[in-house]
Amino acid sequence: MSRDGGDSRAFYLPDFCTPRTTLAIVLIVELTAFVLSLARQTASDFWGDLVRTSMFLLWIGLSGAALLCALRARLARLTEAAGSAAVLALIAALVAGISLCAWALGRSHLVIDAGGAPLFPREWRSFTLRNVWISLVVTGLALRYFYVAHEWRQNVELRAAARVHALQARIRPHFLFNSMNTIAALTRSNPPRAEAAVQDLADLFRATLSEKRNTITLAEELEVARTYQRMEQLRLGDRLQVEWKTDALPANALVPGLMIQPLLENAIYHGIEPRAAGGTVTISGEVSGGQVTIVVRNPIEANPSLATRDGNRLALANIRERLSLMYGERALIKSGRFDDEFIVTLRFPLIEKPAAQNA
Amino acid sequence: MSSPARLKVLIVDDEPPARERLRSLLAEIPGVEVAGEAVNGQEALAHIHELNPDVLLLDVRMPGMSGLEVARHLNVLEEPPAVIFTTAYDEYAVEAFAAQAAGYLLKPVRREQLAAALAHAGRLTRAQLQKLAAAAGATARRSHIAARRREGLRLIPIEEVQYFLADQKYTTVGHVNGEDLIEDSLRLLESEFGAAFVRIHRNALIAVKHLERIERNAAGQYFVRLRGCTEPLQVSRRMAGELKERFRI
Repeated sequence: MSRDGGDSRAFYLPDFCTPRTTLAIVLIVELTAFVLSLARQTASDFWGDLVRTSMFLLWIGLSGAALLCALRARLARLTEAAGSAAVLALIAALVAGISLCAWALGRSHLVIDAGGAPLFPREWRSFTLRNVWISLVVTGLALRYFYVAHEWRQNVELRAAARVHALQARIRPHFLFNSMNTIAALTRSNPPRAEAAVQDLADLFRATLSEKRNTITLAEELEVARTYQRMEQLRLGDRLQVEWKTDALPANALVPGLMIQPLLENAIYHGIEPRAAGGTVTISGEVSGGQVTIVVRNPIEANPSLATRDGNRLALANIRERLSLMYGERALIKSGRFDDEFIVTLRFPLIEKPAAQNA
Repeated sequence: MSSPARLKVLIVDDEPPARERLRSLLAEIPGVEVAGEAVNGQEALAHIHELNPDVLLLDVRMPGMSGLEVARHLNVLEEPPAVIFTTAYDEYAVEAFAAQAAGYLLKPVRREQLAAALAHAGRLTRAQLQKLAAAAGATARRSHIAARRREGLRLIPIEEVQYFLADQKYTTVGHVNGEDLIEDSLRLLESEFGAAFVRIHRNALIAVKHLERIERNAAGQYFVRLRGCTEPLQVSRRMAGELKERFRI
């Protein structure tokens, strides 16, 4: 029953089976009735005229919605032009049918006996013809409106998806080529380790390039970060120590993909690599009050003249943007240097993955 | 191949797998031998003196002293080795290497390219090195001053330098562990370390962080005293105004 979000080629007409659309139909109908009543200039009985017109148009509008609701799947199979033409034809036929019904009802004994005959049309031909013309114009306008609204929504969705993807698909070229170099070395000296490294690198790329999974579980994200650590460990050896204090974190909490790995990457790139002696990166996490907190700390080069690496604002801004796309105001990321450490704190609401759901 | 002397190569890289790979590639190239390995810039400069290699395979990105800075210090040597830079990825630097015609290899290094680079390795000029450093985004400032001594190259951390005094031919570096002679001109030193040093005389630059106090004698002559230095240094009349301005005396 949900909206047709996923398929970008989805038919532009909304689902007429939903209350929202029905309400929109009623609104369109009432506006049309109002315009028609005003245009008729029957000064004597404006409200009576409006009520009559509304009743008639609601009849058309709601049965039209029902018709489109039932036929939507079939219409969606046509091209946009053919679908639109079909909708116009269907509505015109419906209006003609209902107009004839109304005319016939006005001639029935039931109405004549009740003295309601003046309320109904006397002549069927011009009545039906006018109604069909009006319906074609109004349906045409409505279709145009739905089309533009659909385009706009699709645009917004595409742009958001593209932004998330662009933010995610980011691996430091520096890391890639160094890893390749490490693997080239291991291929000669230690083929089993080279094989493991290729597998790790493949996993990292899969995680980075994955388009479908915007959110993953915390356990999966931690595994990506550990895979990353293994790759860097090969290259940096004992200079890199990583302390994991993440046992308190719920494994099935949902997180936007690539939240922790880039922080580890940053910590290594800015905190460990520039130091000849290396150092320890600490990753700790806890849950309290429905909030997940993850803290990544790394030592910083005491001698500023040796700290030549560019700032890491890019990666942090990237994570900040993705967090806000997912959680809005309810997530935060902050960073700063405290004494001889650089600390990044990540906080976002705990949303656990439902057990039954298959991603 | 005709020359009996083998080319001695020093490998400088902070990453063990990278050194390992270069070593195994070099083993397959005839006429080449690995003289040694260094894991950072300081170690490289020490090894160069001991091992006297013909060629340096020098990683650009290293903790502490970068490959580019190591190369700049080589100019101090009488017979510096040829330099081939190795780099995994340095967006802009790669273009600069190509433009400066310096030997450079992209990691993972190919054996044929390594062999070709060794065959054509040459020295780098100071100008080339400065352009490379600028392109690599490395600070143009060195972190050390290299002084040539009988027992080898001495690296003086720039923070330990108290003053530079220019002579006719040489420049004296005064630092916390004594004095050394270098060939750099005061003008170049001032442009390189401008922010941390201040000119007090036509022939003297002092480190601001080592400045203890400014004195004036009866004749109206100004002197500066540096922490850890017994002798005061004279301030020229022309520079006295600027000095007073800078330290708001």
